[in-house]
Parts: sequence; C-alpha cells; structure tokens
Amino acid sequence: MDELTITPGSACQGCGAALAARLAFKALGPNTIRHGVPCCPDSATMTPRGGGGVFEGGGAALTGTWRALKAKGITDVQVVGFFGDGGTYDIGLQGISAAAERNENIWVITKDNEAYMNTGNQRSSSTPLYAMTSTTPVGSVIKGKQTGKKNIPMIFAAHHVPFVATASVGYPEDLIAKIEYGKTLTGFKMLIIQSPCPVGWRYDPAKTIEVARSAVQTGIWPLYEITDGEKFKLTYKPRELKPVTEYYKPQARFRHVTDEQLAGIQEDTTKNWEKLLKSDELGQLLI
Amino acid sequence: MVVGIRIHGRGGQGAVTASRLLATAAYYDGKFSQAIPMYGTERRGAPVTAYVRVDDVRVRERELVHTPEIVMVLDPLLSTRQTMADDMAEGGLLLLNAAYPPEEVKTGGNIRVATVNATNIALETLRRPITNTAILGAFAKAVGWPKLESIEKAIRKQFSGRIADMNVEAIKRSYDECSEVIPAPVKIAGESEAIAVGGYGVLKDVSSWRVFQPVIDMDKCTGCKNCWIYCPETAIKWTDENKPEIEWRKCKGCGICVNECPVGAIEFKRVEIKNE
Amino acid sequence: MTGNKAAATAVKLARVEVLSAFPVTPQTTITQYLSEFAANGEIKGEFVNAEGELSTQVIVQAASRAGARTFVCTSGPGQLYMHHPMHSTSSSRLPVVMATVHRGNKSMQPDHTDLMSQTWTGWIQLYCENNQEILDTHLMAYKIAEDKRVRLPVAIGYDGYVLSYTAEPVEVPSQKSVDDWLPPYEYQSILPKDYDPATGGRGFGGGGRDPQQGWITHHEALLNALPVIKEINEDFGKVFGRKYGNGLTETYKTEGAEAVMVAMGSLAGTARAAIDNLQADGKPIGLIKLKCYQPFAVEDFKEYGKKFKAIGMIDRNVCLGHGGAGYRLIRNSLYDMDERPKVLQFHAGLAGKEVRVGDFERVGEKILKAAKGDKVSQVEWV
Ligand SMILES: Cc1ncc(C[n+]2csc(CCOP(=O)(O)OP(=O)(O)O)c2C)c(N)n1
Ligand code: SF4
Ligand code: SF4
Ligand code: SF4
Ligand SMILES: [Mg+2]
Repeated sequence: MDELTITPGSACQGCGAALAARLAFKALGPNTIRHGVPCCPDSATMTPRGGGGVFEGGGAALTGTWRALKAKGITDVQVVGFFGDGGTYDIGLQGISAAAERNENIWVITKDNEAYMNTGNQRSSSTPLYAMTSTTPVGSVIKGKQTGKKNIPMIFAAHHVPFVATASVGYPEDLIAKIEYGKTLTGFKMLIIQSPCPVGWRYDPAKTIEVARSAVQTGIWPLYEITDGEKFKLTYKPRELKPVTEYYKPQARFRHVTDEQLAGIQEDTTKNWEKLLKSDELGQLLI
Repeated sequence: MVVGIRIHGRGGQGAVTASRLLATAAYYDGKFSQAIPMYGTERRGAPVTAYVRVDDVRVRERELVHTPEIVMVLDPLLSTRQTMADDMAEGGLLLLNAAYPPEEVKTGGNIRVATVNATNIALETLRRPITNTAILGAFAKAVGWPKLESIEKAIRKQFSGRIADMNVEAIKRSYDECSEVIPAPVKIAGESEAIAVGGYGVLKDVSSWRVFQPVIDMDKCTGCKNCWIYCPETAIKWTDENKPEIEWRKCKGCGICVNECPVGAIEFKRVEIKNE
Repeated sequence: MTGNKAAATAVKLARVEVLSAFPVTPQTTITQYLSEFAANGEIKGEFVNAEGELSTQVIVQAASRAGARTFVCTSGPGQLYMHHPMHSTSSSRLPVVMATVHRGNKSMQPDHTDLMSQTWTGWIQLYCENNQEILDTHLMAYKIAEDKRVRLPVAIGYDGYVLSYTAEPVEVPSQKSVDDWLPPYEYQSILPKDYDPATGGRGFGGGGRDPQQGWITHHEALLNALPVIKEINEDFGKVFGRKYGNGLTETYKTEGAEAVMVAMGSLAGTARAAIDNLQADGKPIGLIKLKCYQPFAVEDFKEYGKKFKAIGMIDRNVCLGHGGAGYRLIRNSLYDMDERPKVLQFHAGLAGKEVRVGDFERVGEKILKAAKGDKVSQVEWV
C-alpha cells in the first residue's frame, strides 16, 4: 500500500484529519478520483481531483463524476468525496442524502473533527454536547454547545445504502479494513472517521492518537459497520468501557463541564453502548 | 510622524495578537494606530505577517507598510534570515527572538539590531512557545514606547485572569531581558531568500515548525511500526533493516511518535537553533 | 477595534432580535463576537448558527416577516450561495440588514464581486471606508430599512482583511443614545388573530393585472429611498456628530478642483492620502467617495458633471464582458447633459491586489491629463 497523500501538507502539528487522509487514501489506492469541499487540512493526494469544491455541493459533484464514468463504461474507479463534518453533516447534507437515496456508486468519507476548523473552530452539528467552540463559547450565561452531536451514520443507515461505517485514526487497521471491504461493494458507501484536532479540542498535539483511542474505549465513538442498512457489527468490543471522564478530562474544550453533566453523558453513553451490543449480538441493527 | 512596523511569525505564535496589542498600547499612549494582519486560513505554522502604523493623526491610508522603521520577528528560525530585514528604512530597528546577543546577529544592512530570548521567556512564563507577549516588552525597551503600563492595559483588555497575569509577567521579563540596541555588526545585507514556512496545500520543508524534535534510540527500538503508522506527515520511513528513519523536511515535531512508542525509544528534544 | 467587531457591536447596540450566520473567512469573527455577546447575556436576541448561508438568509427573512429586527452576515462564496432568497427578502420589502465582508470569488482577499453580483436582487447597498463608518452605517441601515417610506433590506459592504481584521480606534455610542435614536421596529402582525384573508397579509408581489407591477413597485421603492438615506445621514450627524457626505456621496477637497477620482469602500481612505499629496504639489484634483451604490445617486453625479472636466471611476470590480459597475452608472448619469466631462475607467484592487498611495497619485495625474484635453487610454487595470 503506497502513501498517496503529498506531504508535508499544510495541516497543524499533530492533525488527526491529516492522518485520516493518509490512511484513507493509502487504502483506497491510486485508482481513485477525489472530490474535496472547502475544509482543513486541504490534504493533497497523488490522485486526480474531480471538481471545483463547492461547499454545499459534495454529493452532487460525486454524482456527476460517477455518472460520467458510468456513461463511458468505466466502473472500476473509486469516486471519493473526502469532506469535513461541515461538508457532510451540515451544508452538504441535502445533496449527500439525495446521492445516497439514488444509491450512487460513490464514497463519502468524512474526517470528523467536530467543528468547522478551517475557519477557526466554529460549531457544527457534529460538535458534541457542551463542547466549547468559537461560536459556542463559555460565557457567563451559556457555557458551550447546548445540543448534542448529530448521529450521521445512523441517518445514512436509514437510507438503506450498501455500507455505512465509523472509524478512528486511533485504529488504523480497522479503518483500512473497512475501506478495503467497501471497495468490493457497488453503490453508496459512507465512512465517518473521528479525527481529533489539537487546536480546536485543545490538547497537546502529541496526544492525538491517545484522545482518538480513548473516544473508542469509552464508548463515545464506537466502531461499527452497517451493511444494507440492516446488518450490524461492532468492530471493536472492549470487555468493559472506560469511564467517559477519561476522554473528557484531557480536552480543554470540555474544561467547564460539571461532574453532574459528565454523569449525564456517562448514562447516555452506556445506554447507547448497550443498544449497540444487543444489535451486534443479533447481527441486526436495532433502532 | 508616522512609524511603520512589520511583524513576522508563524500561525500559533500570536503575531496578529501582537500587532493588535501594540496598536492598542500605542493608542493608550495617546497615539493613533492601525493594526493590519495578513494571513490566509488560520493554520498553525502557516506564515503570518502583520503590520502596525502609529501616527499622531488618524491613519487613513490602507496600504501595507512597505518600508518599515521597525521589524519584529517572533520566530527564532526566521530570526536568522536576512529576508526579515528586506525593505527596512535606513537606520531602522530589527528586533529578533534569538538566544544570542545582538553582536552575533548576522543579518546585515544599515540597520540597528536588538535580541531577546522570547522562546525561553514564553516557555517559562506561559509554558508554551507563544512568543508574542514575550517579545513585546523588549519592543517597549528597545524602541522607547509604548509604555509598559499601556501594554499591560492592552493585555488585560484582551485576556483575563491567570492568562492575563502570565502574559503580563512575560512582557515584564522581556522588557528586562532585552539586549542593548546596537548598529548591525554586518554592514552589507546578505542574499535574501524567499522563506516558505508554511502555506496552503503542499509544502516543501517544515523543519522550521519544530520547537522539539523526536530522537530515536535504535537500541531500544523493537521495530513495532507504531511511529510509522501514526505519523500524519509520512515523515517516518521504514528502512530495509526494519527500523524507522525520520525524514526531517517532513517532520513538524508534533510528538505523536514519541507518545505512541510502546517502549519509550523516542525522546522529544528541544531543537537548537544554529545562527548561521 | 476591528471592522468585524465594529459590525458586531452595532448589531448589539441596535438590539437585534434574530440573527443568523454561517462562518466564512473573512466574515467569521463577526459570528464569533456575536456568539460571545450571546453567551454572556449581552444580547438578548435569538442567534441561529445555521447549517449554510442559504438558510441564514431564509431564517432572517421569515423572522423579519414575523416582526423581528434581524441581522445576517457573510462573505464571497456564502454571499453567492444565498442569492436566491435575497430576491424574496427584498421583493417582500423586509427590512433585513446584512453585512457583506468582501471576499473576491477568485481569492480570499477582497473585491466587490460578491455584493455587486446581488445588484439585481434590489437591496440597498452601502459601502464603508473605515471601521467607524462600519459601526455607524449599521445603525443608519436599520433606520433606513425600517423607514415606512423605504421598507427595503440594506446590505453593508466593507473590505475583508483591509477592514474586517484591521484594528483601529472606533468611538462607540452609548446604548441610551442609540435607543433614543433608533426606535423598535414597527411591523405588521402576521399572527393568526390579526390576519385578514381579504388582503392576504402584506403583498408587494404582483398586484393588479400587470405582471410587471412587482418590478415597478420595487424599482420605485429603491429610487424613493434616495432622499430618505440623505435625511437619515443628516439626522445621524446631528445626534452623533458624524456623517458621511450627504449619505449617498461625499466630496473631499473638491473646492477648486478641475477633476475628481471616484472611489468606494476602503480604497477611498488611501485615495484621500493621495489627494493630499497631489494637492500639495498644486495639482487640482479632488475625491468623490461613492457610499451608496444602490440606488444610484444620479442627481449628485449630474452636479459633479457640471463642476469637473474629468471624472475617473475606480472600480474594485468588473462586470465581465461589460466593464466596471460604477463607471457604467456614472457615464449613464451624464449622458443627457449638453456638455459632458471625460469619464475614465480604472479597475483596481480586484482579488485583493494592494492599491498604494502612489497608484492613486498616478491615477490622479492621468485624470488631470484627460481634463486638460490630452488623449489618454479610456480603461486601465491599476
Ligand atoms: C458556501 C461557503 N460557505 C462558507 C465557506 C467557508 N468555509 C470554508 S471551510 C469551512 C468549514 C469547514 O468545516 P468542516 O467541513 O468541518 O471541515 P474542517 O475545516 O473542520 O476540516 C467553511 C465554513 C465556503 N467556503 N463556502
Ligand atoms: S485546525 Fe485542526 S483539523 Fe485543521 S489542520 Fe489544524 S489540527 Fe488539523
Ligand atoms: S514528531 Fe510528528 S511529524 Fe515528526 S516524525 Fe513524529 S509523528 Fe511524524
Ligand atoms: S514506535 Fe518505538 S519501538 Fe516502535 S518502531 Fe517506532 S521507535 Fe521503534
Ligand atoms: Mg470539521
């Protein structure tokens, strides 16, 4: 597997998203056309670019490329959108949902750093509950984001597309395996990669992998895959979850979160994990 | 009389904040001022230049400062480069973040120079290499204005609580530790090279980003490949001897490999800057 | 205070009730300042961090219709993306106020393409030279937009980076003085209990049999806004001690000048410095600052046409395949005069290209040459 990102890129030191790009394109291989929409880091790859990067148009741009290839009888190329959470969860959601419903033969890979980092850390609908961003600051009246993170993988599972999965830069083998499996499928494929951002999440850049791993080990970011909107598999199953405080404490974006609030998060996380465990046992997604 | 100031730094060192603090402090001194930042997207390590104009009357023009009377450099590696003195006014002042005295400054020209070890001050007062306030005190000393109280007031307007206190300590120390201002020891300007410290997209060499750098102890290394797989910049190559090797132009000094080595074979060492 | 902080501060002072924004460089920090105000309880309004610019415009449109004082802000690509609903905001005659922090479509750096591309949506467009003017213009914009004789949305354009991120002293009026000057927005209720099915609520759309009526009404409303903008500028000056020419255009050192250059936005500041230098050298040239671009101050320019032998328009834009936006309007204004001055076109500062005092001096000399009757090229890219 060759390295396909052109490095060094413009990302900050210890950028999780840059690692997500590196791992994803390594696994996708050279026979790939990449679409990007505005986001950071603007990881360049040795694969061709498919379009002009209209922020609101990710799903449509992928559709256009895939349909042109199809019209020409070319079906072995991976048509890949590598977007930020802003591009997938927010401004581009409508177009991506439409592409999923049409079951376009494309990939939507999202490096999820849980805010709009390119413009300086503003909240997105992927920003978790209570997190401090520049548009959800910690003030004297309101402290951090007041709503939770949008559950995008489950929304796309409900589109009944061939493949939806989560991944983490803390688990490279899992990430790569999911892309390799997805490459064998025809139709719409989505991969959401949690990609810690030391600048926005406010932790020491050396800890990017540690933070990513702890999200998985605490059940905050479970690793799973859903095929055809039904078949469910947890791809990482610790015997016991670590307490969520292990994930929250090192990140200064959560510094103001109270113990009471943490207890609430713990409760929700455990509940969600138990549901996923049950789905995993059945091999069938329970909603 | 209008005074033009140019500030060089990299994203994360606070050059833009420095320009605003300086403009605000000058305003508290009773001057009119304007702080103009120049940057693309706000990425760490990306090049940042900011300009300040200080005048006795309200500033109207909007062009950048093209022949600065004062240039202030926040980054120690940039401080060794002749480019910093480009287009300076005759007899202008070049204030560098450097660990050596002004007598050892190699930047040439008909200019005056002063140095302060802002990185050290920042690491000791803020515990991070954010050098903006750690050089502003030296500015006040070397230039003779703004008043230290004005900078402190500007800092307390920008920051609050403990952060403000730490920054105030940084300016005070920097004021005290600033060197003498002397005529540049080298009279003739050397060759000035364009400097790519950062940018958008693909870069050639990010060596200048490192404040600390990973040093691998090959005897301890078990060849587990952790450092290799987790490096975001593919800066770690895998050798035929089944060992990691760092490609220095790609390494940003993030410390991920240091943190992820299971046997502690990688040490994170402060980079020494050679003044050549 | 940066230009973006000045805008956010004005919005706070105006007691805006519904705000919506989506981040985009170089507008972003307005959103951040407003978020901080909201988090600290300094603004009571509803702040919607929407999922994209299209929604931000629709949110304030609907909120304005429901009677709220509103604010929205954007730059470059975001401005282009919200084009569609901008039409219905203005044709519904809703007094939305919007800040456009200019970003060129071909770079992060500013030119006026983003806002000028919206010309056909029929908003009032006001441009600002410095950060004080940004704050003041936002306050005036609410008064203009909500004036019963106007009832139109107002867009305030100012250059990204050059103003948005540049810090300079700004005088902030007291909350009380703003409250006294800017009364709450008076609107027509859309509540079910007040609804009159006979009129269908407010209807500025078609009306009557003429399908063009909507356009006619909207166009006339813009033209009728001209004297109101002047009046509100005068009044602002009386109360706050600062005004901007006659509200539409401003002359600078035009006394005894034979020719003038016309500049918009932050370029006007640099142009002033050039005019000072030129006049110090005995060169008879002055400056006209074009503040209100839409509606266009045709009458002002007719007057200038009588006074000056040559006018040079400096456009930070190009309507591709047509030419500069300001230039075409100025020439159009002068066509019916018996004796017309020379009108020259300069394109400058597109994609954020820096324009220096020296550039303006050169421009000034060329305009003076034209005034003397020398032959010079008609169009120049500075
Ligand atoms: C229509 C439009 N609106 C806004 C922007 C400004 N913009 C560029 S990137 C970005 C945020 C991207 O956030 P995300 O997708 O999460 O990617 P990240 O930067 O976090 O990697 C925004 C708001 C734009 N380019 N186009
Ligand atoms: S801001 Fe965050 S996501 Fe963006 S380049 Fe820096 S570390 Fe990566
Ligand atoms: S310090 Fe960071 S960039 Fe350098 S080799 Fe280690 S992981 Fe790679
Ligand atoms: S992580 Fe440590 S042990 Fe493993 S290959 Fe790298 S240096 Fe060697
Ligand atoms: Mg993001």
